[in-house]
Amino acid sequence: MAKQAKATKSSGGDNFTRWLVIGMVTLVVATGAIFSVVGEKSKANESFAILSDFKVGPTVVSTVDDANGAGITFNNGAAKTVDIWEDPQCPVCNTFEQANGEFVEDLVRAKKAKVVYHVLSFLGNESVSAANAAYCAADEARYLDFHKAMYLVQPVLENSGFYSTENLIKIGSYAGLTSQSFIDCVTKGSKLDKVRAAYESMGKYNVQGTPTVFFNGKLWERKNNAFLPEEFTAAFEAS
Amino acid sequence: MSNLQTKYQPFITLLCRLLLGGVLLVAGGLKAFKPSESAGAVAAYKILPTDLAHLIGYALPWLEIALGILLIIGLTTRLAAIAGTAVMIIFIAAIISVWARGILIDCGCFGGGGEVDPSKASEAHRAYLMEILRDLGLALSGIYLYFFPYGRLSIEKPLHNIEEQ
Repeated sequence: MAKQAKATKSSGGDNFTRWLVIGMVTLVVATGAIFSVVGEKSKANESFAILSDFKVGPTVVSTVDDANGAGITFNNGAAKTVDIWEDPQCPVCNTFEQANGEFVEDLVRAKKAKVVYHVLSFLGNESVSAANAAYCAADEARYLDFHKAMYLVQPVLENSGFYSTENLIKIGSYAGLTSQSFIDCVTKGSKLDKVRAAYESMGKYNVQGTPTVFFNGKLWERKNNAFLPEEFTAAFEAS
Repeated sequence: MSNLQTKYQPFITLLCRLLLGGVLLVAGGLKAFKPSESAGAVAAYKILPTDLAHLIGYALPWLEIALGILLIIGLTTRLAAIAGTAVMIIFIAAIISVWARGILIDCGCFGGGGEVDPSKASEAHRAYLMEILRDLGLALSGIYLYFFPYGRLSIEKPLHNIEEQ
């Protein structure tokens, strides 16, 4: 040990190598990080290409029912009720959306049922940001379009930086949300109290995961994991 | 014991360098080209603000690669060992932190990462323990290298070796 300690002490003259190595390591790490950040940015831009031919529908007014877990509610008062619980980052919710989103959209637009979207946020910070933006969109009567566009570009990985304020505003711009009030709402997180209320209502409704659907307050127990539209439609008709 | 240490020290140093350096190089290499995965893995620890966590997720694999190469070739071994040990101690602290807060994640040590299904809680906890023990072993290798940085197959040689002999 003494020998080694001595050896290093006397290698004081080798300071140059040390600083050279420190400098090179810093350079490699910085270059690598910049390369990764730039790569991710361009990948995010590519994923927006899907939205280039996104068609915006007519606005649909919704209400936020604080008594009902701050759900985004359409067609209040209709005979049948569909409650949908989802998290913007949940990949299975995206599967559900791609399979049955159109059917649900038709229920809302044709006023066939009361539809309540419970936007959850238990998958991390970016779910919170995305849920906030969803509430902002609902304020401008564009929840349906925003929701659809958001799932179309949903990143494979959770909390990987995709649902940033900048990108959420961009998603909004494809969904017809270009007003300053929407941008402010997303930037400031104006709806975080609703987001929290929705999250906290999970226990009350005994919702354990997403997506969860209730028809007239009764849990939909699907038999197939693929969310087959036939099964969903039949379950709705039977309710 | 001290005789054994004197006799085998250059080999133990080589072994420690290959062990710590090898693990760092592999871990960094597996993550460096999956930046979004790495960023997500760091964010899943929920220790740092998301933006900062993402930045670290982008940079960390490259640091691991650089330290790994330095240790394997044996250049500025002592310095690289200090940094490598510090990284391991940070990993251990991070895993203890998620464990203590009841968060269930995949450590993302060699790629992957993110939240784990609650039904796999016991597996996740066992994995935490194994990760802590592994990183502890690697940190000890680093500490050994701090005291004995010069060994076999190393670019760097003690400057005054010849004088002492």
